[in-house]
Amino acid sequence: MLNNIAKYTGLFILLLVIQVSLLNNIQFSGFVNPYIYILFILLLPFETPSWLILILSFLAGLVVDITAGTPGLHTSATVFAGFLRPYVLNYISPHEGYEQGDLPGIKTYGFRWFITYVIIIVSLHHLFLFYLEVFRFEYFFRTLLRVLLSTGFTVLFIVIVQAVFIRR
Amino acid sequence: MRSLLNFLNRFGNILLFILLELIALYMLAARPNYHNIKLTKAMNASRAAINAKINQATDYFSLNEINQQLLRENGELKNTLQRFYRDSEIKTYSVTDSLHRQQYVYIQASVVNNSVNKQKNYITLDRGTLSGVKEDMAVASQSGIAGIIIEAGRNYSIAMSVLNLEFRLSVRLKKNGYFGSLTWDGADDNILIINEIPNHVNISIGDTIETTGFSAVFPEGIMVGTIVDFDEGGGDFYDIEIKPSTEYRKLNDVYIIVNLKKDDQIELESDVTGTR
Repeated sequence: MLNNIAKYTGLFILLLVIQVSLLNNIQFSGFVNPYIYILFILLLPFETPSWLILILSFLAGLVVDITAGTPGLHTSATVFAGFLRPYVLNYISPHEGYEQGDLPGIKTYGFRWFITYVIIIVSLHHLFLFYLEVFRFEYFFRTLLRVLLSTGFTVLFIVIVQAVFIRR
Repeated sequence: MRSLLNFLNRFGNILLFILLELIALYMLAARPNYHNIKLTKAMNASRAAINAKINQATDYFSLNEINQQLLRENGELKNTLQRFYRDSEIKTYSVTDSLHRQQYVYIQASVVNNSVNKQKNYITLDRGTLSGVKEDMAVASQSGIAGIIIEAGRNYSIAMSVLNLEFRLSVRLKKNGYFGSLTWDGADDNILIINEIPNHVNISIGDTIETTGFSAVFPEGIMVGTIVDFDEGGGDFYDIEIKPSTEYRKLNDVYIIVNLKKDDQIELESDVTGTR
């Protein structure tokens, strides 16, 4: 348990460093803003209770908001993603269901399962985040394009991070 | 009691979700007038301090360019010094009271944080109320407008960048004085939009756009940019695209412009119109 707490805190700090030092500096007319910290919520163990996911989502979003100077924006989007995670997992669960003690990852249920899972959660998170940021429908299609491009890059970075840093 | 527990068991997570979401949205909604929220205060202070450290390091790389800019600006200032003094009648006084003659005071400030890749960009500056900065003061770079102060802390202040969907400013054509409203559409940090200039006015690509000074925030005649494209639009007004004269990606040293007569103007205007 303690081991897990240390591991996930480390993971979150790693993601935050990548986010702040690298991803926040992508200059592409604002069309590409990947937010990789959401991987922290994606990788929590299967048996994590829903209330704990919600609390952790809230805290993670809050920390990201502090580094980005956008009070409430990332917090609300991450809580939204954390709320949907159990439903998404349920929806895409393999026939046998999930093994107790397993972690969501490429190794556990294969690349296809993992990429489906990541794309669904990341696109929901980004949709919520970008539309909340703009908060008007005037630029509907441009915002949609920003969501799609950023989702693409976030998923790409998540696969890279998953492949490079996370063994097991 | 049992039914309460049952209820919590079934709907507890949804209730928790709604509660956390409401807290988050409250924080988001409170953004424009968050003077009272300690959390955001602490957030901004720590963020500004961290960014100031990073900025110290990166400043060195652009020293040469900044020197060039300063030289150029010095020359310009010497030529245009008189523009900001309105002294037609006051010349008769023998007392040299700069406060009553001078309308604008410039406070030099450094940018400690700035973004161009969001839809609502803000600029953090290293001057706060201790240096006399207040809300609604104008921020300009050597080459043109940059933003408007929306929040002033003790040592730092935050300006809404021109690159913000909420930004509005009254601007005019330098050559004939027709004025319109400047906005940013969130797409390209090198293109700003002007509308409300009627399409019987003769304009052409390359025309200079400057501030009007109507809002008592910016002095009149500050450079905004040049027209790069326009079309007649659907209605009676042009859709004009301009290239801003300020390079927002390289914003480093700016001036906060204090209008000494602003309260006077606003008070007088509200006396006449009865509104604020």
